[in-house]
Amino acid sequence: MIKEVNSEEFKGLCGTGLVLADFFSTTCGPCKMLGFVLKDVEKEFGDLTILKIDFDLNKELTAEYGVTGYPTLVLLKDGTEVGRLQGLQQKPVIVRMIQDNQ
Amino acid sequence: MAQYDVIIIGAGPAGMTAAIYAARADMNVLMLDKLAPGGQIINTNEIQNYPGVGTVNGAELAYRMFEHTQEFGNIAFDYRTVKEIRDDGKEKTVICEEEDKTFTGKAIIIATGTRPRCLNVTGEDRYRGNGISWCAICDGAQYRDRDVVVIGGGNSAVEESIFLAGIVKSLTIVTMLELTADPIACDRLRAMNNVKIHIFQEILEFQGDGKLNGVRFKSTGTGEEQVVECDGVFEYIGLIPTTEFLADSGVLNQMGYVEVDEKMQTRVAGIYGAGDCITKNLRQVVTACADGAIAAQEASHYVQNLE
Repeated sequence: MIKEVNSEEFKGLCGTGLVLADFFSTTCGPCKMLGFVLKDVEKEFGDLTILKIDFDLNKELTAEYGVTGYPTLVLLKDGTEVGRLQGLQQKPVIVRMIQDNQ
Repeated sequence: MAQYDVIIIGAGPAGMTAAIYAARADMNVLMLDKLAPGGQIINTNEIQNYPGVGTVNGAELAYRMFEHTQEFGNIAFDYRTVKEIRDDGKEKTVICEEEDKTFTGKAIIIATGTRPRCLNVTGEDRYRGNGISWCAICDGAQYRDRDVVVIGGGNSAVEESIFLAGIVKSLTIVTMLELTADPIACDRLRAMNNVKIHIFQEILEFQGDGKLNGVRFKSTGTGEEQVVECDGVFEYIGLIPTTEFLADSGVLNQMGYVEVDEKMQTRVAGIYGAGDCITKNLRQVVTACADGAIAAQEASHYVQNLE
């Protein structure tokens, strides 16, 4: 599932299982293309939740996770951060980070 | 028997245009890219000189170009980093980093583009992605009402500075030479009241205490050193071709660019170059597309003549 969420929705969804948080900016081209890659990443996994967070609309959440550049991917397992990647990433790198934490 | 007629390495404007032209010539096409379609244009906020679309966001144009390639049934796309090309005459093998995966094709078009050059000075690695950025439209917004330094004086540096100066409290440009961007853009930047420009300066160090807080540089004329305090730095000091995997292939010049003739043909039969990674003067979306069209047309003729 890939879904854009606000802070409240994010907190309701991030506590269980593997959740990949995609902090993005609407003005950022690499963020748009990471969205392209994430659609293909999602196909590789049956039960992965990908939550997209617009930093402009969710600044407190962004600060809470210490996000300093866009796009930033944060992988959460049962609510705890287990991986992080900053910038547009290669699909195999994202897939490996998720597989290593399954 | 080769798996593909044409393998295109790189899915920027040159590679995607090549794919469209090759597909229309009835070629069976594979397009590879290590990241996502688009190449350098995804880092460009506004493209204003690609005919027919007015002002367009770079990533939006990349998306549209990719969707165009997918209107044809004979263009495959895969996420791969190519590490070597092997030329066996009528068949060429592309070897990828991922599990040494190989693909075979009758012709290859190299459209791997360029990437930003780095300074390699003290502090750059420490603050890379955490204070130092190469993408104003990605990271500019987080410096709203703060102080930034832009390094460089060419078109990218000046155009991105104009964008950033509208967001930040102060912007200082530091450049090795004069401002060399288009005069209109330079004048527009100079007229902005929160912009300072330091020319003929050499960057010495990025300073900070865990968090970037300044840039130290010295005048190339007088040797006088100074530090500008800042919260963020954007580097725009040119590009280098992404062609390292071709180092032993015989198709590169001394600077690492792919040498081609007017038909986009390299020194090796069946291997073509297109876009920013080839030797040329004007690196633009429109010239990349033109290169891609020519390369695909010539590659298609080459493949047809093999049969």
